[in-house]
Amino acid sequence: MAIRECALKNQHFARLYDAYQHRDAAALACKKAGGKVLAKLGFDVPDELVLAAGLMPVQVYADPYKELVNTDKILEFAFDPMVRKQFEKMIDGTYKELADYLAVSNSTDVFIRIFLYLREMIRSMPEMPVPPTCFIDWLFTRNRMHQERNELIIGLFRKQLEEWTGKPVTDEAIKAAAEVCNADRAALRKIGALRHGEEVRVSGTEALVIIGSGFFMDKKEHAELVEKLAEEAAEWPVIKGVRVFVTGSVHEDLKVYEMIEAAGGVVVAEDHDWGDRSYDRDYNTAYPPVRAVVDRYMLRQFSSKKAFVTQRVDALNKEVADAKADAVMFYTNIYEDSASWDYPSQKKSLDDQGIKNTCFAKMLYPAEKNEDLAAKIAEFIKG
Amino acid sequence: MEETKKEMPQRQGTVKKLKATGEASAYQKQWFQGLKARVEAGEDFGYLNADVPMEVLKAMDIPFVVNQWWAAICGAKRMTKKYFGLLRDAGYRDDLCSYCATAFAESLDPDDHAYDADGNPLGPWGGLPDPTIAITRLTCDCQGKIFELFAKNHGADFYAMENTQARTFPLNWWDYAQDDWENLYDKDRLDAAVEELKELIRFLEMKTGKMFDINKLQEVMDNINRQEVWYGKIRDLIADTKPAPVTVVDTINAVMPAQWQRGSEWAADHAERLYYEIKELADKGEAAVPNEKYRLMWLGRGLWHDFPFYQNFEKKYGAVFVWSMYLAMGADAYIRNNVEADPLRALAARYIGMEDFLHMPPWNAQWFLQQARRNDIDGVVYMVPENCMQAVEGSFFIKKTLEDAGIPVLAFNADPVDARKWNRDTMTGLVEDFIENRVMKKEK
Ligand code: SF4
Repeated sequence: MAIRECALKNQHFARLYDAYQHRDAAALACKKAGGKVLAKLGFDVPDELVLAAGLMPVQVYADPYKELVNTDKILEFAFDPMVRKQFEKMIDGTYKELADYLAVSNSTDVFIRIFLYLREMIRSMPEMPVPPTCFIDWLFTRNRMHQERNELIIGLFRKQLEEWTGKPVTDEAIKAAAEVCNADRAALRKIGALRHGEEVRVSGTEALVIIGSGFFMDKKEHAELVEKLAEEAAEWPVIKGVRVFVTGSVHEDLKVYEMIEAAGGVVVAEDHDWGDRSYDRDYNTAYPPVRAVVDRYMLRQFSSKKAFVTQRVDALNKEVADAKADAVMFYTNIYEDSASWDYPSQKKSLDDQGIKNTCFAKMLYPAEKNEDLAAKIAEFIKG
Repeated sequence: MEETKKEMPQRQGTVKKLKATGEASAYQKQWFQGLKARVEAGEDFGYLNADVPMEVLKAMDIPFVVNQWWAAICGAKRMTKKYFGLLRDAGYRDDLCSYCATAFAESLDPDDHAYDADGNPLGPWGGLPDPTIAITRLTCDCQGKIFELFAKNHGADFYAMENTQARTFPLNWWDYAQDDWENLYDKDRLDAAVEELKELIRFLEMKTGKMFDINKLQEVMDNINRQEVWYGKIRDLIADTKPAPVTVVDTINAVMPAQWQRGSEWAADHAERLYYEIKELADKGEAAVPNEKYRLMWLGRGLWHDFPFYQNFEKKYGAVFVWSMYLAMGADAYIRNNVEADPLRALAARYIGMEDFLHMPPWNAQWFLQQARRNDIDGVVYMVPENCMQAVEGSFFIKKTLEDAGIPVLAFNADPVDARKWNRDTMTGLVEDFIENRVMKKEK
């Protein structure tokens, strides 16, 4: 099942799909109108602060077909293929043209290395077209001491934004931006409910478009479109199929989901950052701004990279139960290894609950490079 | 630098194994047996990753073993193949994190503490006693997961320490590290590291019932300073003596067992004895490789499963591996003077830098260049680990920095522990080709 007619014919979905497909359009338009754009690498660069600084946030994404002219010389082969494709765009001028600034968060160790490499290029190879870059050094283990340090780190990011824009990032502006972000998350939760409920009205492929488009368009517009769409999608036909939960690598494109859904599955939830995880937990407007930002990004759903095995087992069990999934698909790209340490314990727990599961590890990128992947997925769904 | 070099008469034959190496190897075995006895008697036992500030446990007299040391022992005992089979059988991938996951794999071995029919132990040195505490730092995405799994298998308490990144990074870190760490690191990083230490201490006190004593820590830190000063002298002696009295094969095996014992009187005394032993060789003009023509630097983790590899190029080319990080890190990265002013902060200033000095561009590249010059290095052989994100340390920048300075570099991928992926003939061919076509042709 690709994206259905009912979705394609819906004007709100069509607008989101357009933004999803033409990911640079809004940023270019923003720049053309005199605005400034901040590209984000990693999933813990707080939109609330970026928006409050008057910048448009856009997510760095890979071009799977881009030739790696310089990346293969610079990155060791232990970097996963999606990150390699992202890196090429960060050093070949693509993001220098598209964005004014780049912020990297340590959402995974890989992004820490990428930041260190970019910083070193800026220092020792100034001829390379890398945008001004900063780093957000979160601590993700949950204790009071790390929460305090995160407040300091977020304060530094705020200062960096002020330095870049030459304007203060006020508490009021942060709160106003947070309200937009919360509205967007609330709208996305309504879409989530149409996937996780007894009756599935939105497919996983459609959900990837709805969620992912928000990484590339005006947040307020996105929130409004998703809100309206959620109302209308509640009337879309119910999707029958094996309810699948996807865990592991992020899916920046629709291919794997399309394969699952073409085979009679429906992806009802996922825990990666281009899916459900992106709208988990709100900014608490009752807290002081920096504390609220830390609370939102530090304490949301555990990521596969920055959590221990027991945390990941518990998180997956809960999310699978919440989404009423019948089956779980582990999918990780080659060299994206850390989740592999969680997998055997997670699998055992799922097996104990009688939830069928399968693992596609060391996958080539883009997904179509994997021989017989669609057939193997179909075998799993139908088996 | 050339002027300070002493031209030594060459001695015949190669240097025999140093006395200090044999002594260290005997000591560590004996120490390990003593540790086992303490654990069997019911004492708490810590299993630590190498970047954990072990000085705290030393000061609290909590016995511990370091993951990387133990992985090297397991590698030397050729246990890797068996262990990776165990990982596979338990549903884990057998091609990940070989260095850090060895002990976790071992924890899956039901025979670790068993003996064969002839009474020989099946586990390395009779197997690892069950730790009650497992501590790692979160310096990569996998370590915390592996340590948690390891702790679970042993029924140990798992404890993780966070890691932060440097915002300021004076290029010549080695000029700051010993005395001026307040200007080497961001102040808030140091503050956070001190707080991490306090939490660790509190955890250990609660767990073991032993109270931490700052004076004891100071003693440990003083011993470490004494030990590392000797390593600095050895490193400089090798740099200044041509042909070199010893090679990396001698020094790694003499230094590493003692480095894992750092903080003890024995380790400091051993370093002193090692210095005098090497000095005597140098004074007598005894060279490790009398026909030394080319001085090579080894970058990367030690080839624990194939040490003789390092010596393959001595006879044919007079190419001698004189430098590895194992000795030089001790000299430049560990010493912290005036500890008494604030022992905890001095310790924080040691442990937060370790990963950065080695794995963070530009700190690693700049140091390797400084060391290559100091040691009159003709060529660098650089093993880039295959399956470790933490150790992808900007090999491009390291290579570029050295080659821009006229020092040829051979970079290749391999695994320091997993012998399955090592082909001695291929690697020898690569290095021979490098020596013939890059090192020998280089304008000196
Ligand atoms: S990524 Fe490297 S440092 Fe981390 S656990 Fe694996 S081998 Fe060890």
